[in-house]
Amino acid sequence: MPSTGLCNCWGGRVLPLLLAYICYLLLGATIFQLLEKQAEAQSRDQFQIEKLRFLENYTCLDQQALEQFVQVIMEAWVKGVNPKGNSTNPSNWDFGSSFFFAGTVVTTIGYGNLAPSTEAGQVFCVFYALVGIPLNVIFLNHLGTGLRTQMAILERWEDQPRRSQLLHLLTLALFLTLGTLVILIFPPMVFSHVEGWSFGEGFYFAFITLSTIGFGDYVVGTDPSKHYISVYRSLAAIWILLGLAWLALILSLGPLLLHRCSQLWLLSRGLSLKEGGSSGTDGPPRPQKIPISA
Amino acid sequence: METKGRARGCTCSVPGTLILLLIYLAYLALGTGVFWALEGRLEWDSSRRFQRDKWALLRNFTCLDGPALDSLIRGIVQAYKSGALVIGNTSSMARWELVGSFFFSVSTITTIGYGNLSPHTLAARLFCIFFALVGIPLNLVVLNRLGRLMLQGMHRCARRLGGALQDPAKARLLAGCGALLSGLLLFLLLPPLLFSYMEGWNYMEGFYFAFITLSTVGFGDYMIGMDPDRKYPVWYKNVISLWILFGMAWLALIIQLILSLMETPGESCSCYHGGSKEDFKPSSWRQGPDGEPEPHSPPPGYHSEETAEVIQHPEPSIHTVHHGKDS
Repeated sequence: MPSTGLCNCWGGRVLPLLLAYICYLLLGATIFQLLEKQAEAQSRDQFQIEKLRFLENYTCLDQQALEQFVQVIMEAWVKGVNPKGNSTNPSNWDFGSSFFFAGTVVTTIGYGNLAPSTEAGQVFCVFYALVGIPLNVIFLNHLGTGLRTQMAILERWEDQPRRSQLLHLLTLALFLTLGTLVILIFPPMVFSHVEGWSFGEGFYFAFITLSTIGFGDYVVGTDPSKHYISVYRSLAAIWILLGLAWLALILSLGPLLLHRCSQLWLLSRGLSLKEGGSSGTDGPPRPQKIPISA
Repeated sequence: METKGRARGCTCSVPGTLILLLIYLAYLALGTGVFWALEGRLEWDSSRRFQRDKWALLRNFTCLDGPALDSLIRGIVQAYKSGALVIGNTSSMARWELVGSFFFSVSTITTIGYGNLSPHTLAARLFCIFFALVGIPLNLVVLNRLGRLMLQGMHRCARRLGGALQDPAKARLLAGCGALLSGLLLFLLLPPLLFSYMEGWNYMEGFYFAFITLSTVGFGDYMIGMDPDRKYPVWYKNVISLWILFGMAWLALIIQLILSLMETPGESCSCYHGGSKEDFKPSSWRQGPDGEPEPHSPPPGYHSEETAEVIQHPEPSIHTVHHGKDS
């Protein structure tokens, strides 16, 4: 596809794409909720009943009973039931959480604290991911491209005076630093504050999330003893998307920026551009311009 | 750098791939060792502590009441979350032993992230971050190569078929469909049979596990080799690791195909046109954000050009990492 097509579609095609993306996420959230909620309620009730029966029957514990009990608890835990407390715990498959789950599927983060347990849910999950993952990639690419067209000034730098080049560079650097601060540094701090993690844990969570590894040992909004505002998990899902798009931008812009920096530095040292180009081999990995037609 | 990459791309034959594969394996082994060393003791401690608590509880509370039970549950869940399986003797997949650490390394750098194991010491976490920072691009390079090898095989088949059929377009289509079907069979439809034999899942569960693994979503709700009651043969986990590697490359191709279909709805047939769209970024969908933003229309000499891109593509992230650390 020629790059001009891409630039044209940022106005015309991204908005529908965005809408389609969100609709797809909402659809997924709804269907997961539909498919999973009842099964979850059932297994939760069963767990409660088993717990009560356990309390009735074994007035005094022996080892076998305890092992059995542990097994029950672990099975419940694997199924996503929170064994602590009583049955009035908020559901794992309410809307916000379903949305969150859909987000973790299409971004391939896959925390695993929630996972479909019905066969229908599993089948749907497979096909949902099959379509959702490419969609997610396209969406993030468009976001990254759209942001990058703002940087198209970089392409026309050759015919500008050096002072304004420096100014542009500084603005860009400031913009990138601020964005990184707001999108990558600040939210982990908020998460650690809300969840009661240390900052190290918050940062670890952010990295594991944004690298799409998603172990699920730290997940926001899962502590049953805390009261979250209702949109908390949806906000977290939006943060994840923003963070991924921002990483896309940084990773595509970073080399370009570094290259420009080194060029400017060499120019100010009075070296010729040719030498700058040859010495750029160990620095920027992509010396060629990113094909953006401004 | 560019010319170097292009030259490497052209001569990228079996030896280069083999060396890369060796580096990859060595890197995995490194991760295995470090995680093993860092996490093993802590996990053993937490397991021991849990056992001690359990016995103390058995002695002290001859008859349990509600709060005591809740505290017991909390302990069990905490222990389960921190990776100590609490029933009887556990399989080595669930612990920071060699096999478990290896599997953890695989699941980290492929970004599957099952989460049945996760680091708990600060040092291990820090190492995990840097391990992933280098390992994920490395993994992408390997997957790119594997995907390209698969595509080359497909092209060879297409050419041979084209000679036989005297209709290159038809032959390409046939080869593409054949590759698609054989891959589907080999990576998604047959492994569930193995899983159902080894793990006692039904076919659907096995298929679900296979897809969730290969798409790198990796919930961790189904895990192979985790049932302590079953005996697993030695080759089982190795075969699974290989399956993950090749299957991911293949599924990345498929998802790339869907991606190109989605981005260019008009020319849906052109995906078989030499398969070049999938050629240069078979796994970049995973890293999607920093991947190429759009599928290029295939130039005539796409092989040399795009192989260069394949090698080049994952490198920005490596370089960015280094630069970030330097500056």
